Amino acid sequence: MAIVAETSRFGKLSRPVLAWVVGLLFFFPIFWLILTSFKTDADAVKPEFLIFFTPTLENYLNMTENYDYWRFATNSVITSVFATIFALAVGIPCAYAMAFNPSRATKDVLMWMLSTKMLPAAAVLYPMTFLTKSLGLFDTHFMVIVVLMLINLPIVIWMLFTYFKEIPKDIIEAGQMDGVSTWGEVKEILIPLAWGGIASTALLCFIFCWNEAYWTVRLTTTEAATLSKLIEGNRAPEGLFFGRLSAVSAAAVGPIIVLGWFCQKQLVQGLTFGAVK
Amino acid sequence: MSDRKLPRLLQTPAVILLLIWMLVPLSLTLYFSFIRYVLNNLRRPEWTTPSFSNWRGLGNYEFVLNSKDFLFAIQNSLLIVGSILFLTVILGVAIAVMINKAFPGRGIVRVLLISPFFVMPAVNAVLWINMILDPVLGLQGLAVGGINSVIASLQNAPLVGWFFSLWPQLEPISFRATQTSAYAVIIMVTWQWTPFAVLIFMTSLQSEDQQQKEAAVLDGAGTWSQFRFLTLPHLSRPIAIVVMIQAIFHLSLYAEIEIVSRGNGNKNLPYLIGEFANNNIGAASATGIFAVILANIVAIFLLRMIGKTLME
Repeated sequence: MAIVAETSRFGKLSRPVLAWVVGLLFFFPIFWLILTSFKTDADAVKPEFLIFFTPTLENYLNMTENYDYWRFATNSVITSVFATIFALAVGIPCAYAMAFNPSRATKDVLMWMLSTKMLPAAAVLYPMTFLTKSLGLFDTHFMVIVVLMLINLPIVIWMLFTYFKEIPKDIIEAGQMDGVSTWGEVKEILIPLAWGGIASTALLCFIFCWNEAYWTVRLTTTEAATLSKLIEGNRAPEGLFFGRLSAVSAAAVGPIIVLGWFCQKQLVQGLTFGAVK
Repeated sequence: MSDRKLPRLLQTPAVILLLIWMLVPLSLTLYFSFIRYVLNNLRRPEWTTPSFSNWRGLGNYEFVLNSKDFLFAIQNSLLIVGSILFLTVILGVAIAVMINKAFPGRGIVRVLLISPFFVMPAVNAVLWINMILDPVLGLQGLAVGGINSVIASLQNAPLVGWFFSLWPQLEPISFRATQTSAYAVIIMVTWQWTPFAVLIFMTSLQSEDQQQKEAAVLDGAGTWSQFRFLTLPHLSRPIAIVVMIQAIFHLSLYAEIEIVSRGNGNKNLPYLIGEFANNNIGAASATGIFAVILANIVAIFLLRMIGKTLME
């Protein structure tokens, strides 16, 4: 018994310290990126300015000039926002029907939808290039939005389904008894009750769209190119542009990391398709 | 409208969209994988347009299976995916258990820990390969240089100098060669996905039976045996799920390889498909079909597990 007490006292002290060390270690690369973004390109590779240096905002101020940052950022915002809106527009009715009027096939349909998420994108690389080019949709916002929406639709439907399922059926049925129309049902009962779930689904979908790095890189060149494409195109600065590259990278990931902090819980559900509770 | 029709109608758009998304490109891949189809061929211009008259049967599959690149890509894919899975699960369990109990600043540590997961893959790769792993200008290069200059100054020190002169100068590792860049990819993806594993294991640990644990403590069970016989079995299901989800994601790893390894020979299946797709569409498509088969093997198990909890 004495030994148990001993280890737990040791554990009481060492555990938080170790946890903090691990947490800081994992955050360090992001911290380093942000720190480097405040150094000039010349300072960024000099050992004597590793930690102590004169911070400058020039990398951020010249982001437009150096990388045309805002054009890519605008494309990222447009494609991610619209893909999220469309995914919700298609996903909400579908999840609503599945949750409140499940049929025998519902489970199979859901499983099939998830299975589309598991197809490796690379397998259809050329057909997608071929189709988009022959339809004249290559490097257009429209195409990027459609693709982003489709790859996230299964997750959106799944998440909405699990939220809707939690709403007691009686409430919906009571509405039906009172003669509320289906649309009224959705508007007056479902959306107010499931608002939190819908919002976090949207947030997660938006994050996934923003970070997507296969189709946005392969199906765009300039017009509809997103931030993934911008960073990918400047992959090897050979030490010359560490400062400015760090600034543009930090600007590309910063907002999303902050958004991500707000949806940690939903992330588990969205990524494991509810298999872990 | 009847009770049955409306729900079906509401599901129709989603089902049709996903059906098109799944069937159209994949059937094109299947079709291209059975014909001779190249983008440039001056001697045989008829091969540059897809047509059934260029039927090649299983020829593309044979070509791919016999190419050295394919075997290497499969091996490399397995090395990368396997290593990432191993590292993220070990680290994930360790960290999740560590921060499961309350301690001062736990919320902040969680936020710090989860952050890497939201970094876009392109930034992840650019950040690690340049600012951190670069053998000269990155932190690695600077650290190695620093250690070397400390050793050098110790070698000139009186009395102990002879001892330190036996020490070697450290060589920084270049992470841009074929094999080392695979390690670089493993490092950066492990950094990004360990938070994911931690998050899921933590969620699962919160539903662990506390009474059972208390009973075990009363019975004199130590920390290790509590972990070994209670926590680990409890985590077996989430571990299986983390492994399968990550396997599916990492089998299609692309941006990191593209950024770290362009042209240096470090390739996985998606990268090889991209290379083939520059000209030999038949081969690219056959490789694609192999990738689908590989992903499906994992997906079947995963879907079964999800299916069990689906309607609960």
